[in-house]
Amino acid sequence: MTQFGRQLGIGPTDNTSDQRTPRKPLRLIPSVARESFVPVVPARYVTRTHEWDMTRIAPGRPRGDGTPIEVTGTLRNQNGTPIRDALIEIWNANHHGRYRHVEDASGLQLDENFFGMGRVVTDEDGNYRFWTISPGAYLARPDIGRWRPKHIHLSVSGGSARLITQMYFPDEPNNASDPMALLMGDGFENNIGKPYETSDLDVDEGYRFDIVVGGRNATFFE
Amino acid sequence: MTQDNGSNLLKATNEDTSGPFFPIYFQDESLEDLTVLGPGIVGAPSGQHIILCGRVLDRHGNLANGVLMEFWQANAKGIYNSPANSGNPDLDPWFNGYGRVRSASGEYKFCTIMPGASDNRAPNITITLFSDGISRIVTQVFFEGHMANETDPVLKSLDTDDQARLIARHGGQTDDGAEIYRLDIVMAGANETPFFDDFES
Repeated sequence: MTQFGRQLGIGPTDNTSDQRTPRKPLRLIPSVARESFVPVVPARYVTRTHEWDMTRIAPGRPRGDGTPIEVTGTLRNQNGTPIRDALIEIWNANHHGRYRHVEDASGLQLDENFFGMGRVVTDEDGNYRFWTISPGAYLARPDIGRWRPKHIHLSVSGGSARLITQMYFPDEPNNASDPMALLMGDGFENNIGKPYETSDLDVDEGYRFDIVVGGRNATFFE
Repeated sequence: MTQDNGSNLLKATNEDTSGPFFPIYFQDESLEDLTVLGPGIVGAPSGQHIILCGRVLDRHGNLANGVLMEFWQANAKGIYNSPANSGNPDLDPWFNGYGRVRSASGEYKFCTIMPGASDNRAPNITITLFSDGISRIVTQVFFEGHMANETDPVLKSLDTDDQARLIARHGGQTDDGAEIYRLDIVMAGANETPFFDDFES
């Protein structure tokens, strides 16, 4: 007999979400099979040493347009245990809201000094740090005037922890109408970076973004 | 850091959509074909080579472009390379069992070995799907013709129609001997693939 779990929500005003969100509730996994649903990503030290600084394409190159920022945080599971040696893959639009991605057909301006993709690995205490250019917001639905607020994509994989999320920015006018933010409800606050002073650093703004990987997968093999 | 009410657990960061622009730049060919170790490397994992392929479709039957698919499976002897199996002599040193493919079109192809049966389970591969418009969803795929399918606890938890939606059909063999299995994944709507809840299970 099938047992059901969560019903996934469809992001308001998000056509792709309407096309791709399962309509039936998720099925519960029979307990004897639960462990088989826990992928274990082998350690992937694929980052290059300069990738933590996404404000420029390579060391010695000029900086991209816009505001250089630092993002730091600690990766933990819900028990509070730091997740070490996890790969964080990062991508964000440039100052003008354009991704350096062959499928971004927005026509917005590319920046010859901004690449927009980088990878870092958490240290033994689960900490990570990277620099990037503060992303531009972009018009996602011109027909209804809905913008995607500024955001940075982060994909976390390490051991049995797996998470793709986005860091948003505080007090952005487009946060309130974002489909995914609407689905998160009050929990959206958890996905907003917390500003800090960076007067001693070569960046203009700093954001603390602690990441907690939820669910039992992240703690299964602790 | 905030905590859930009445719980010592930290509040989880919300999962979010990958969006349409997961960087192709992060592609890793060694995760798209688990049967080869890399250019010029001698050695290979044990097992029958298979190709799992098909389409990922949306609610209207259109290809779901830009999906990121991850795969997780046991080795040919049915052993997962997980910490729980650390030191198991049947681990295959050349097989991690984790794969990842990003499909521009929505058609996918993953080269691997046939997983062995383990713990009263039929051979299966866990698929994690990321895409624009959704956060992570998971399911498991099985293989046509395995007796163990009839007693597998995951398949048995589903009705007959849903079972069929998770069984990849055998579709011949490549010239170099890999067995081809096809499975279309329907993200939403009629003929929707069953997905599983690994938060509440």
